[in-house]
Amino acid sequence: MATKVAYYKGCLASLSAKELDTSTQALAPKLGLELDELESVTCCGAGDIHEAEPDYYLHLNARILAYAEQTGAETLMTICNVCTLNLRQANWTLKNDDELRARVSANLQTVGAPPYEGTVEVKHLLWLIAEGEGFDRLKEVAHKGLKGLKVAPFYGCQILRPSKILGFEDPDRPWSLEAIIEACGGEPIDYPAKIKCCGFPIIQAREETALGELIQPIEQAKEAGADVIVTPCPLCHLSLDAWQSKLKKATGKDFQMPILHLSQLIGVAAGLEESELKFKRHVVSVDAVVEKLEA
Amino acid sequence: MDVALKVWRYDPESGNRVLREYEVDAPEWACLLDVLDLIKDKHDGTLAYRKSCRMMICGSCGMRMDGRAVLACKERMKPIVDAGHVPVISPMGNMPVVKDLVVDMAPFWSKIRAVKPWLDSGYDEVAEKERIVAQQQMNAIHKEALCIMCGCCVSECNSMESDPEFLGPAALAKGFRFVGDVRDNADIARLNDLNEEHGIWDCTRCYFCNERCPKGVDPRDAIAKLGAESIRQNVDHDMGAKHAKWFVKSAETTGWLRETELVPKTQGTVSAIKQIGFALNLARRGKVPPPFPPHVAKDVKEARALHDLVRGQGREGAAGIVQGEKALAMIEHVLDADPDHAAASRIDPQRAGGKSGGD
Repeated sequence: MATKVAYYKGCLASLSAKELDTSTQALAPKLGLELDELESVTCCGAGDIHEAEPDYYLHLNARILAYAEQTGAETLMTICNVCTLNLRQANWTLKNDDELRARVSANLQTVGAPPYEGTVEVKHLLWLIAEGEGFDRLKEVAHKGLKGLKVAPFYGCQILRPSKILGFEDPDRPWSLEAIIEACGGEPIDYPAKIKCCGFPIIQAREETALGELIQPIEQAKEAGADVIVTPCPLCHLSLDAWQSKLKKATGKDFQMPILHLSQLIGVAAGLEESELKFKRHVVSVDAVVEKLEA
Repeated sequence: MDVALKVWRYDPESGNRVLREYEVDAPEWACLLDVLDLIKDKHDGTLAYRKSCRMMICGSCGMRMDGRAVLACKERMKPIVDAGHVPVISPMGNMPVVKDLVVDMAPFWSKIRAVKPWLDSGYDEVAEKERIVAQQQMNAIHKEALCIMCGCCVSECNSMESDPEFLGPAALAKGFRFVGDVRDNADIARLNDLNEEHGIWDCTRCYFCNERCPKGVDPRDAIAKLGAESIRQNVDHDMGAKHAKWFVKSAETTGWLRETELVPKTQGTVSAIKQIGFALNLARRGKVPPPFPPHVAKDVKEARALHDLVRGQGREGAAGIVQGEKALAMIEHVLDADPDHAAASRIDPQRAGGKSGGD
C-alpha cells in the first residue's frame, strides 16, 4: 500500500532543476510513495530569509507546514537539503514553543492561511528510501541495476548538519547514500570531501572562496576513480554541474564529472525514460554514464 | 580498562609527521585528556598538547578525534573502548601546527581582537547609579556569551579553508555578543566592520561550527543574527546582503525565488553582463528560466500580507532568531539519545564505508 506524503518541491525543482521534479514524480509511486503536491506554498527562504528577516522566515515555513498538515499526511517530503533544514528548524521551534506557535498561527489566520497545529514531520526523500519499507522496495525497483558503476556520494551540508535538527544519521560517518548506491548495484566511492560544502550559498557573492570549496569533492571523487557523483540536493547539483566550467577557467582542470540527482541515479537503475530523467538538462554531459550502463 | 589511541606526532625540528599508537590502562571514567596525561606521565614525556582546567571552561584542549574537533576533557573513552575502536587523535585544522597536538592560535586571536571584544558604552562619565540591564535583554546574547574560545568551530570552517582571512565563526559569534548587548553603543560601526570583505557574508553555511561547538554557542546562528541586524539597520551594501534581500523580495512578490534575476540583483548589472557567456551556456540546458511570465505561487497574496503583518510586531532583526532559541535548546543530541545511533556507529568507519572529514 502506498504511503501518502505531502510533497514540497521547492524553488529549484520548479525552475532550473525541473529534471529533479520529473524524476522524483516518476520514481515515487514505484517506491510506495503517493505524492500530494503542495500548491499554495512559497520558497522556504533558502537560509537567506533566515538571515535577512528571520521572523518572516519562520512565518513562511509555518505556512508551508500548515498547508502540509491540511493534506492529512504525517510526512512533508522534501527533495532539497536547504528546504529540509529550513523547514525542520522552523518545525522544531514551532512544535516546542506553544506561545510562539500561537502567535505565528494567529498571523497565518489573519492573512487567510490555515493555522499550524504542529503535527507534521519533515523528511527528505533520501531518508524515506534509505531505511524501512522504502529500502525494501528499492531493491525490487532497481531491477536494471548500475552494473558496478563507480558512484561518489556527495551529501552536502544541510542534510547532515546541524545534526541536532537533522539527526537522521551520523553527520561525520553518514551511510544512507552508500546504502542506496549498493542496493542499486553500484559501487560507492569514498573520499573525505563527501560531507563538506559545495560553496553554493556564496557562489555569487564570494565566487573565489566558493570555487575553492567546490573543487574539493570533484577533484577527490575523480582521483578516487568515480564515474559519477550523486547528490540529494539541487543546490549542490547546480554548483557541481554548472560551475565546473568556472573551475576549468580558474584552475585549467577540466574534470567533466557528471553529476546526478538522487532520484536520477535510482531512476536509471529503475529504468525510467529520458523524458523523466531529462539528462539533456545537465551542463556536464551524462553520456559516458549512460553508455557504460548500456554496454 | 585498556585504552588504545593513535596520535599524529609532528616534530617541528625534523618536519617528520608520524602516526604513533599508544595503549594505557585507564579508569573507566577517563576522558581523552586523562588518557593523554597517562601517556605523557607513563610512556612518552615528549608528547605535546595544551590543557589547563580539565572541566570544559578554559578552552585549551581542542584537538581532533577521528577528524572531529573536540575538547579532550569532554570526550569519555569508555563507549569507544567498549566498541573496540582505536581513535586517531590529530591537531585542529585551519591553524598551523606547532608540535604534535599544539596549534598556533595567533591567527585565531588576531581575528578575535579584530572584532573589538569589549563594550563601547558611548559615554565616558561614570554614572552615579549603576545602570540596570534586564535579564531578558541579556538573554539575547546568552548563547554567544558561552564561548570559551577553544577554536573547535574554526578548526572545521569550510570557508576559512578556502579563504584564510575569513574572520570565522568564533570571532563573528564574539562580534554578535557585542552588537546584541544593549549596553554597547557602537552597533552601526561594528556592523560596518563585520560587513567588510572577509566578514559575515563569507560564511558558506556549512554548519560545521554549530556541529562542533562544545558549548552550544551555535556560531552560524550568530552570523545569521549579524546578517539580520545589518539588514535591519540598512548596512546592506555587500553582495551577500543583496543576495539575501532578493529572497525576501521574491517571496513577497511571486512566492518562489526569482532565480534568473538573482545574479543582477546580487552583483549589479555590469558584473551580471560579464557573466553572460556563462549564463548562455546554462540557458542552452534550460538552467536559466525566463523571468516572464513569472512563476507565481498559488495564494501568494497570503505571503505578501504576512510580510506586511510581521513587520512591526517587534521581532525584526536578530530578535527573529532569538525568539526560537528556547525551543531549539530543548533538542537533545538526537544521535546520543538514540541507542541505535550511539557511539558505535559514530566511531566505526567501516559501517560508513571508510574515512571522511579529515584524519
